[in-house]
Amino acid sequence: MNRAAPRSIDQYLIQLRQALAGEDAALIQDALYDAEEYLRAEVAAHPDKTEADVLEIIASTYGDPEEVAAAYRDTEVKVKAALKTPTKTPVSAGSQPRSAVRQFFDIFSDSRAYTSVFFMLLSLATGIVYFTVAVTGLSLSVGLAVLIIGMPFFLTFIGLTRIMSLAEGRLIEAMTGERMPRRPVHPGPTQGFWARIVGMLTDARTWTTLAYFLLMLPVGILYFVVAVVGLAFSGSLIFAPMAAIAHHFSWFGAQFWGTQDWTFQFGDFSPGWLGTIWATPLFVAIGVLSLTVFMHLARGIGRLHAHFAKSLLVAG
Amino acid sequence: MDDSNAKKFQKELNGGLVGLVLLAVLDQTDEDLYGYEIAKRLQRSNDGQSVFKEGTIYPVLRSLSALELLTSRIVPSYSGPPRRYYKITEQGRAVLAEWRAIWRDTRDFVDRFIETGAPS
Repeated sequence: MNRAAPRSIDQYLIQLRQALAGEDAALIQDALYDAEEYLRAEVAAHPDKTEADVLEIIASTYGDPEEVAAAYRDTEVKVKAALKTPTKTPVSAGSQPRSAVRQFFDIFSDSRAYTSVFFMLLSLATGIVYFTVAVTGLSLSVGLAVLIIGMPFFLTFIGLTRIMSLAEGRLIEAMTGERMPRRPVHPGPTQGFWARIVGMLTDARTWTTLAYFLLMLPVGILYFVVAVVGLAFSGSLIFAPMAAIAHHFSWFGAQFWGTQDWTFQFGDFSPGWLGTIWATPLFVAIGVLSLTVFMHLARGIGRLHAHFAKSLLVAG
Repeated sequence: MDDSNAKKFQKELNGGLVGLVLLAVLDQTDEDLYGYEIAKRLQRSNDGQSVFKEGTIYPVLRSLSALELLTSRIVPSYSGPPRRYYKITEQGRAVLAEWRAIWRDTRDFVDRFIETGAPS
């Protein structure tokens, strides 16, 4: 050990944070949280000893910060390997690299693309909830600030945003695979009521979390629109032959295009062949193509959003 | 140094064993347990000496939970941050049975050499 042994819980947590420097921010948050749970429980279990005395035996029971950091690093690598989605087609040594076309359509075997689409659709709902909570909480906090319940209300509101931020992180990890915290941020050194409020006000993460919640409404609307338009546009082209057939035989009383038989109207651009049923395979091809592009787009948006969320929700 | 060799050996041994022991502890009880409680149980059962550094059981608990061998729930606590209580799942029990058999085979095999010398 090249460092002095920690004499208090706060020192221990600071050393643990230093030992984990450079690791994923979410992993650090989890490790600090676990350590604090243990250390505080250990101190509480020995009311006859001082915090410094308890910390003295910590290195032999819980492990010193370096050891604990190493354990988190090792376990993280193993869990990542175990949770990785197995690749469907293992590329054996010496085999041809997959063709570009194959890679382009392989998006349909990537579960992240589907979950990203789902996330885009869901983000309208979550965006509305986050925006409403943030705006209501902020304006009530300001409005109630002069009253006695102002401060407890503000504390509760910030606490709520932290829980919501953790839940959003879990959702994003499930949808995009980006590592997000699995534990809330540890509340730091035990302080008085006022110190805690000042701490929350000066903590940049409090404000970036609120900014994320506010931004989620416009961003959620955008994602939802892109997802619905992408799916509807591709879907309508892919199912065009069925609509044409239904129209032709007047199934379901289908009268999609007026009284004429199967025609598409493209304004002034309406070549005759485009109006016949024989053009529908072309529509299907365009539909499949646009759906594939859309799936790539969705996966990309999912990844970008995960980075965006991480930068605002997780302390660096 | 002998001491560091012993430490290294112990650490390498612990790699997979922590998971096995944690599953076994949670399998033996009907209650849900949180990290600190599990650590203390391990310590008590070994006359107050812990074989594992207790800091190493938390990441393993989390990884077992991520592999769906354990479920967990959060309960607020007076002494510190909210605690996460763990419970073994059906899948966890199945895996434990498998690991147990592997452990017994391994232990018997190793014992055959180091307890009575190499068999003829």
